[in-house]
Amino acid sequence: MNSFQWKVGGQQGEGVDSTGEIFARMLFQHGFYVTTYKQFMSRIKGGHTNYKIRATTYPTQHAGDELDMLLALDDETYEVNRSELKPTALVLFDGDIKVEGTSEGHTLVSLPLRQIAKEIGNPLAKNMIALGVSGGLVGLPREEFFSLIEQQFSNKGERIISSNKLAVKKGYDLVQDHLSRFVQPLPTPDSTRRMFISANQAVAFGSLMAGCRFLSAYPITPASEIMEWLSHELPKVGGTIMQVEDEIAGITFAIGAAFAGARAMTSTSGPGLSLKTEALGMAGMSETPLVIVDSQRAGPSTGLPTKFEQSDLQHILNASHGEFPRIVLYPSTIGDSFYLAAEAFNLAEKYQCPVFLMLDLAMSMNKTTILPIDVTRVSIQRGKILGEGDLKKLTEGFQRYRLTPDGVSPRVLPGTPGGVHVTSSNEHSESGYITEDPEIRTKMMEKRMHKIQSAMSHRPFYATQPEAQTVVVAMGSTCGVVEEALQRLAEENRILGQLSLQQLHPLPVEELRPYLTGKRVIVVENNYEGQLLNWLKQHLPIHSSAHSIRQYDGNPFQVKTVVEKIKELI
Amino acid sequence: MATVKDFKGDAATWCPGCGDFSVMAALQRAAVNLGLEPHEMAIVSGIGCSSKISEYTRSYGFHGIHGRSLPVAQGAKMANPNLTVVAAGGDGDGYGIGAGHFIHAVRRNIDITYVVMDNQIYGLTKGQTSPRSAHDFVTKTTVKGNKEYPVDAISTALVNGGTFVSQGFSGNVVELAGIIEQAIRHKGFSLVNVFSPCVTFNKVNTYNFFKDHLVELNAPIASRAAAVGYVKQCGGLFTGVIYQEKQEDFQSQLGIDWHIADIQSGPMDENLLRQLETMFM
Repeated sequence: MNSFQWKVGGQQGEGVDSTGEIFARMLFQHGFYVTTYKQFMSRIKGGHTNYKIRATTYPTQHAGDELDMLLALDDETYEVNRSELKPTALVLFDGDIKVEGTSEGHTLVSLPLRQIAKEIGNPLAKNMIALGVSGGLVGLPREEFFSLIEQQFSNKGERIISSNKLAVKKGYDLVQDHLSRFVQPLPTPDSTRRMFISANQAVAFGSLMAGCRFLSAYPITPASEIMEWLSHELPKVGGTIMQVEDEIAGITFAIGAAFAGARAMTSTSGPGLSLKTEALGMAGMSETPLVIVDSQRAGPSTGLPTKFEQSDLQHILNASHGEFPRIVLYPSTIGDSFYLAAEAFNLAEKYQCPVFLMLDLAMSMNKTTILPIDVTRVSIQRGKILGEGDLKKLTEGFQRYRLTPDGVSPRVLPGTPGGVHVTSSNEHSESGYITEDPEIRTKMMEKRMHKIQSAMSHRPFYATQPEAQTVVVAMGSTCGVVEEALQRLAEENRILGQLSLQQLHPLPVEELRPYLTGKRVIVVENNYEGQLLNWLKQHLPIHSSAHSIRQYDGNPFQVKTVVEKIKELI
Repeated sequence: MATVKDFKGDAATWCPGCGDFSVMAALQRAAVNLGLEPHEMAIVSGIGCSSKISEYTRSYGFHGIHGRSLPVAQGAKMANPNLTVVAAGGDGDGYGIGAGHFIHAVRRNIDITYVVMDNQIYGLTKGQTSPRSAHDFVTKTTVKGNKEYPVDAISTALVNGGTFVSQGFSGNVVELAGIIEQAIRHKGFSLVNVFSPCVTFNKVNTYNFFKDHLVELNAPIASRAAAVGYVKQCGGLFTGVIYQEKQEDFQSQLGIDWHIADIQSGPMDENLLRQLETMFM
């Protein structure tokens, strides 16, 4: 078994999240590639919640369709997740000792978790006993579990540590006494140096490394974690986050900071982005560099605040009135989130415009295993900024919006002697002062719109099997599902190409042309309208051979669904 | 040393007699008196007649969108604490569309100065009611008189923890320059609300109206409660600094060794990267 899928489920507030987190960390530290998927509701207590973990001996971006083991902290968990169980699956409940089979082939095991927890004097340790059972069933060394507990509870005191260790030991004992015939040890993984990280964390980390020292934002699921992580780390390097009064302040504080020379960002999700749109245009018009993270959730309006969707593309491409340049990036893996976040700041400053970094809930709030960061892949490039010395060399005075061949005018940061100017969201002349002169207006529009035409990130897309007659296109976390679906189809000797798009605006049309034209194009995306397919159709002649597979129920695709739908189309 | 002339920017297009000319003159004089050079100051404004002050005054300027001067100004100050940052705009900009930011800027106490040119009317859109318009005031959008009551911005600042709350009048540039100078000197958020008559659209709140009604405060009032009482008593028609309190400003409280805007081009800091990476291992 080189892929093991496990899930814990129960009522919110029952410790489901922390139980999943500990087991995921256990499997990761043991050396597996671990990928997770959490489901939860927009409330603090009550309601079904679950945490799925997949441990593999190979890298993957998908948490798996089916379960080998389900830890059901209540009966509802079994009912809700039953359809995901493999025929060989084992379900663990709390109760009097009992082992029984079902007509579907599942093994239902009851063990007195609550009672044992009470006996060892720590009623909260019920879930730890269950983790001991889980570890025992897949042959994880219990000593590793003990050292993880020491790390995890290091600030909780010796008593908590020893009672949790005892709980885990009791779990292992239960397996030995009652479930030895179900033990199926996992293969021994290699254990190279890796990271276990979510896209929110990777974006926060990548931004800090790229020199971002200021984030202003308003709390919103699923983006808040970016602000929370940076809240700890930015002050150590001379920066700060600001949780401000509203979403509009979130973007306008960042614009102010960027104007004054910061690499600044704001992070949000769909509803917040809707509120930010007027100020987005201000960044575009005033040519102020800015990075905006949109961690998408299911809309419209409040929609499904804790569920997954990829339906903001159309909005991001068009948000705000009037026309101005913008760059839109969307990492296809959690690992790429780090690099694209760092690159977003370079692009924002190089082109002096807003840069969107799209994410989605599935990647924002879930973790996967990635290789250590390659520090050579992105360096800090601050674009055209003139200092006092540069200004002295200018023969004619400084003009903030000077018309240049590439459309990018050098900036001067406030505080610099010799560069005093006004930055304006009104139409302006080269000096920055307001103008309504039609000729200048035309030149300024062209300058702004032209300057990003050649903007290109390092990996605008990834493509596999370029010779294949069918290419499957996806963005964001859906790329991981498609990757796995195409592997399954390859096992049946159906070789399809995959195109994972990371730069959505400006769309690298000429670079994409050979991969998409003259082929059967299937776009897999999580929205109703087929927004990505429509966007591609606006640029490439693929109309007669393009299909889309769409889902908008709040959940990511299952691999088997994508495989079935692709088979119907080829 | 810079002179008032050094702070002159683009040619102003305000109506002759507009109160905003005096506000700009007072601001420029205050800057000179403080020994500031134009490059050491940033004026951030919103939209409206008065918000054009960032174009007409020569300093670093950001002429943004309606109602958002305060968050842009606070963001700029966060990035460069050495900059003297002045946010400016009208009463519609600050107490109407941007009112949310106003309350939070007051309680946050970042070291910037906010100059509101309060003319009790929307001027640039040619004569609609404003959040500071008096009850029963007739405008193009309140043809039978305004049935709302005006925002009491001074009391709002007082009860939300404002550490420097003041009011001036375009008819008294010398006093106003002195107030703005004190406001900029104040380490924390300083509000300067200025009665700045719109000579074209407001025929009620005129220079003469204010000359007849305004009371000059000689010294700040000792307590917030008494200050609020005083505002009520004089119907808000006073000039001077009504309240000032020493309180550590937001940025100082954070106690961070700021390095926000001084990031250099070059490779990422690999030592820092490897150190942070361990958080995820």
